[in-house]
Amino acid sequence: MPAASVSNSPNKWVVLPHFAFAACAFLVVSVLLLFSTDAFAGHYFHPKLLTLTHVAVLGWATMLIFGALYQLLPVVLECKLYSERLAAAAFSLLAVGTVLLAICFWNFNLGGWLHVAGCCLFLAFVLFNINVYQTARLAPKWTITSDFIVTSALWLLLTGFLGLLMAINFTNPFLPKDHLLYLKMHAHMGMAGWFLLLIIGVGSKLIPMFLLSHPKGTRKLSWSYNLINAGLLLFVVDQLFFQTTYLPIYAALVVAGVALFMWYIYEARALALRKDLDLGMQQTFIALLLLLLPLVIVFLVSAEVGLQAPLLSALYLVYGLSVFLGFVTALILGQTFKTLPFIVWMHVYEKQVGRFKTPLPKDLYFPKLLQAQNFCYLAGYITLLLGVLLREPSVIMAGSIVFTAAALLYTVNVFHMLLHRARQLEPITYGKSNS
Amino acid sequence: MENPTPDIRQEVFNALRQVIDPEIGVNIVDLGLVYQVTVEKEVLSVDLTLTTPGCPMSGTIMTAVENILEINFTNYERAVQLVWSPMWTPDMITEGGRRQLG
Repeated sequence: MPAASVSNSPNKWVVLPHFAFAACAFLVVSVLLLFSTDAFAGHYFHPKLLTLTHVAVLGWATMLIFGALYQLLPVVLECKLYSERLAAAAFSLLAVGTVLLAICFWNFNLGGWLHVAGCCLFLAFVLFNINVYQTARLAPKWTITSDFIVTSALWLLLTGFLGLLMAINFTNPFLPKDHLLYLKMHAHMGMAGWFLLLIIGVGSKLIPMFLLSHPKGTRKLSWSYNLINAGLLLFVVDQLFFQTTYLPIYAALVVAGVALFMWYIYEARALALRKDLDLGMQQTFIALLLLLLPLVIVFLVSAEVGLQAPLLSALYLVYGLSVFLGFVTALILGQTFKTLPFIVWMHVYEKQVGRFKTPLPKDLYFPKLLQAQNFCYLAGYITLLLGVLLREPSVIMAGSIVFTAAALLYTVNVFHMLLHRARQLEPITYGKSNS
Repeated sequence: MENPTPDIRQEVFNALRQVIDPEIGVNIVDLGLVYQVTVEKEVLSVDLTLTTPGCPMSGTIMTAVENILEINFTNYERAVQLVWSPMWTPDMITEGGRRQLG
């Protein structure tokens, strides 16, 4: 039997700052929501909505995914992270870029600082891509998981590049087509190319692992990968060169890809030896359910079904919200409590296990706060969506308040874990000794 | 002359039941992660695996096993090896482990 190597986990200082920054950004998003109820009455190209979206997408979701991925890449690819220095540099650039971008958008200052922010972010994505690609190359075998992760990183790079071009285009117009067309491409490359592919790639490995389930074969995942990429590529080429009315067909390809992933997860759930779901996994399955909403809305916004302009405008907003504050946020809220407690626990107690009575990872956070967080999140999110759809500021405000409560509960739990220190531990006494 | 090995092997298995997989909440013996315990002369060898290659808990579980063997079996030289063959599957979980999973 060949001996295997021990843990590939990176240093905690590579991973944990991402969680701290992301939790703060999530709180900022929810507070910004409170001050943006008026913005939901109009078009999605609004300074406040641009700020909200970018803080949510970059400071919250991407930041947390970067951090979690540095911890999870060694798990899913079975090798060490290529470079911790690149990871630290990408963190700094992403943090600075996000803060600058948010300030520029909120004040609608589209000049030099916006370009600086765009450059910081693009550079962060370049470094991230190098790290991910080189790590995948170090892996003992190239799998469908590697395909998903490396391709999603590439889409992130393209999304960032297009974003940078659009930022420059604000003050020095050079792009040949309407700005909103590029915005639509930018948004979909980010949503389907970066978030969706990455979540499917990592989720298809981690969800069965957490459920103690071994679904056989990866054909569904391979088709899922092909269909989502085909749909997205066709969409981008169409928008750049043709602008046809075939958008629902491209959407159908992406939806079919997601459906195959869902089928794979359904089989994993059926084969699971762990039938009881903890709070983190419950929230993960809620996130997968929430994904159904944007998958339906995408057909309404991409097909010309003759919806009235105000309703179509509200639907666009609900569509964006259902991806970022719905699916992606719900998933992160759940998976944070499947990853962060273990990372902290491992670094604090690794040397003590077997000698002292140590707490379990699930003892490092407040389960009641997590329960309340999950409830407030769902209630706040649904109320917010209804408010936006009905264009009712008071309902939007009510949803934002409950959503902020969820963000506060999340932040308290995250910082409680990040600041965890080992107390005086009781030694383990064994019944029988052979010494 | 009496051979003490079977008893010691059983003691090792019993001691290793103290090591709980922190994610699953079941001890590593009932999870079927301990493949082999051998005692030859004064050397006590344990071969164990993990539920998945690249498991972030590998360092922690190895340390726990080494600590427990060091405390309980000081008269022996100890060798703990992490192995990947055969690959662990959920079928290796014992009846007791399955009951703990619910």
